[in-house]
Amino acid sequence: MRRKKRLQTNDKHIKNLAAIVGEKEILFHKEDLTAYENDGFTIHSYLPKAVVFPKNTEETAEIVSYLSRNDLPFLARGAGTGLSGGAVPLNGEVIISLVKMKRLLNVDLKNRCAVVEPGYVNLTLTNSISDKGYYYAPDPSSQYCCTIGGNVAENAGGAHCLKYGVTTNHILGLEVVTPDGAIIEIGKNGIMDVPGYDLLGILTGSEGTLGIVTKITVRILTHPEEKKTVLAYFDDVADGSQAVSDIVSEGIVPAALEMMDGTAIEAVESAAYPVGHPKDIEALLLIEVDGISAGIEEQINKILDVCEKRNVRSVKVAEDEQERARWWANRKTGFGAMGAISPDYLVQDGVIPRSTLPQVLGRIREISQEYGLRIANIFHAGDGNLHPLILFDSRIPGETDKALEAGSACLQACADVGGSITGEHGVGIEKREEMRFVFSDKEIEAQTNIREVFNPYYLLNAGKLFPSPGRCGEVKKEEKAAASK
Amino acid sequence: MDTDGKTAFEEPPCSTSQLSNYLWRDKPDEDKWADCVHCGMCLEACPTYEITGQEQHSPRGRVHLIKAVAEGKLEVSEPFTDPVFACLDCKACTTACPADVDVGGLIEEARGQIRQAMPLTGWRKGVSRFFLHGLFPHPGRLQFFGNLLKFYQKSGVQTLVRKTGMLKAMPEHLELMEAVMPEVQEPIRKKYKHETVVKADTESKREIAFFSGCVMDVMFSDVNESTINVLTRNGNDVAVPQNQTCCGALHVHAGDRDMGRKLAKQNMEAFKQADTVVGNAAGCGCMLKEYPELFREVDTEWREKAEAFAEKVVDVSKYLHDTGYDKPTAELNTRLTYHDACHLAHGQGVRQEPREILLDVPGVEMVPMENADRCCGSAGIYNITNPEMAEDVLESKMKNVPEEVEMISMGNPGCMLQMAMGVKKYGRSANVVHTVQLLDWAYQKEEEQRRQE
Repeated sequence: MRRKKRLQTNDKHIKNLAAIVGEKEILFHKEDLTAYENDGFTIHSYLPKAVVFPKNTEETAEIVSYLSRNDLPFLARGAGTGLSGGAVPLNGEVIISLVKMKRLLNVDLKNRCAVVEPGYVNLTLTNSISDKGYYYAPDPSSQYCCTIGGNVAENAGGAHCLKYGVTTNHILGLEVVTPDGAIIEIGKNGIMDVPGYDLLGILTGSEGTLGIVTKITVRILTHPEEKKTVLAYFDDVADGSQAVSDIVSEGIVPAALEMMDGTAIEAVESAAYPVGHPKDIEALLLIEVDGISAGIEEQINKILDVCEKRNVRSVKVAEDEQERARWWANRKTGFGAMGAISPDYLVQDGVIPRSTLPQVLGRIREISQEYGLRIANIFHAGDGNLHPLILFDSRIPGETDKALEAGSACLQACADVGGSITGEHGVGIEKREEMRFVFSDKEIEAQTNIREVFNPYYLLNAGKLFPSPGRCGEVKKEEKAAASK
Repeated sequence: MDTDGKTAFEEPPCSTSQLSNYLWRDKPDEDKWADCVHCGMCLEACPTYEITGQEQHSPRGRVHLIKAVAEGKLEVSEPFTDPVFACLDCKACTTACPADVDVGGLIEEARGQIRQAMPLTGWRKGVSRFFLHGLFPHPGRLQFFGNLLKFYQKSGVQTLVRKTGMLKAMPEHLELMEAVMPEVQEPIRKKYKHETVVKADTESKREIAFFSGCVMDVMFSDVNESTINVLTRNGNDVAVPQNQTCCGALHVHAGDRDMGRKLAKQNMEAFKQADTVVGNAAGCGCMLKEYPELFREVDTEWREKAEAFAEKVVDVSKYLHDTGYDKPTAELNTRLTYHDACHLAHGQGVRQEPREILLDVPGVEMVPMENADRCCGSAGIYNITNPEMAEDVLESKMKNVPEEVEMISMGNPGCMLQMAMGVKKYGRSANVVHTVQLLDWAYQKEEEQRRQE
């Protein structure tokens, strides 16, 4: 087998890295590297220099320290399911893949926390503690395969984050390898708050630009006593959106409040987990309430009333766990299901005030017409977190650019109503420029200054999260100005 | 919109070439990878990704590489071969995929390109030709081979060989395989040579044709015998067409699609008269159902025939479940677990039927297996061609086999051999059985009890 011949290389860095992790734990052939040119964001592809697989914190630190000493750019990668290109090696980085650090190190039921390595898969945590009555709340749709390390980097959200909060609300402590190879601990195991700056808050959602997380202490919760799920079909998107607003104004905090529009329904129904939604509706709502048994029934009744008032075509409560699971599988595989109706898609991730939902959805429909591209909507309606999925075919010349522009226009629409350009997918390389929709130059600078404290030589995951200060456009303008003088 | 900002996006360095590097006919199908949006939902389903943690050994990674060759970014080369041939063909990714991407189909098409671009040479070519061309498609030779094996087992040579420790010279996986090789018995195709149809025990309700498999009929003819017993017991006339041959799965998995087509044509001819083709080997059944894929680009005039043929093929457990069977009255007191053969569960969507049959046998207690539909590592002859990976996959499988069972039931001969190796290697005691065998044994016991009364 080829494996034996693997280390045929003259590159001294490859040899030295192999000496740290072992010959089997490094990839550097073009064919192998090609599999790492994208993550879940496939618009831009770049080959890494190599991929290394450390087994523990010490190896990670040794790798980082070597790369930093030798001025080689690098980045960390989990399962590679990120949707904004955070793990794409823009600068030919050495990818430090953390998937082999996938142990569950400790479960402390008394203090309701667990310690995991970064490569540990999100759903595996819930699966391994659910027989004891516990679970890990943040549930991104990719939870079947995404890693908790990646969740920390992106501050991942999920369907049930409406009530329970996103990843940052569930992180109690981190062990971090800094960009120069030092190992530091942030937060104390299980202690709610520590004095000083909220470094946990800064690290969580920093998209792998401040350090590499090697150990994570997460909060775990007890399963709610009862759970009820409602599925409602609407003939009119506006009615559906209005119902979302109404439910929350009624004082109900659902565990999840999801919406899908007609195009999205077409996709999930022609994919692997159809549930038989009618094809001619404009929107559906998936609403879940949970908590102590007393009161659940009342909340469900209120929800049914709201739906009726908003001209629901039909509405039903899941009869059993099986039916509920089918509805959720259908919803959670929604992005992948786009493959069934379109060769490519670009997912956007804007956040808007709930009350502007009908207005923004209308604007997205206009954008779809303007660009001649279909746009499906699957999103966390409850917290106003939109996911317009722009469908396109990259084989048609020019269509990729059109899709990018349409995506950007959707984000502009969110920013215009006082919203934000990302709720949970991160900025990555995808939305760098759109950061200007929501931040002034000064505000961006305040943030890049923080990055400089952690990542002074800018070898770790460079070129992500913020627009580059000397944008080509600006540079050209300046050159022009200089020339005209 | 700030259009100036757009110039900050650099042109990707490697996505401009449109020149495909697949130079032979029967190319990987663009429509298949067009469905893949790189979401990663397949990752955790893939046994080789579980073991290596490497993207190129994951379904979406493989799809990406196969696409990269078509886009001219990569060439059909040795390093491309590794990920493509390390796939187990277990199809677990197809179950996991939200967009139903046919990863298995793409892998097989890519293997076809690889074998045409880089034909095997030296001893690998010799071994491959001997088994795939010289042996499996020829029932007579297989029978001769079986007789040799039988001689080896019965004459005392096996005992002698085992005593001398000669086997220690073989790689461990082959030594283990020798140890668990079932005792060779008379193939049913030989046994029923002179009967065109084995009549139903009582009143004939239906007629079906039985696909006996090639290796199956030599190594596991007792399972074939049980299958015929169970079918005839339930009112089926069973035809055993003599000119049927190997299904071609091993050939197609190995990238030898021309031979696959040749065998497919022979089988379609052999079963021309049949309305229903019943098989008991999941791997073969799945292959028969996938014949249309072989004629997508080559010999397309066969495509329609292949589609009609594929419609007729059904696994014995599903057939019994759908047409009805007598519930046995005799008790087989046993505690067992069920392993989903990949090509039954992922390949044909048959999961509940065999379990229901087992539970219909009085006295059977079923202990559920965690990850029952996870590949065991047999994967055709993968355990011979990729022993290291196959062993890791087997180890992971055996961890999920409940400790306290007396039997492990399944619906595929490759799995039976592999699981028997697992039982032996990890010091377990369970017997490995085919689902229909249990039903057959229960009927036999019932018969015995009736005779005694």
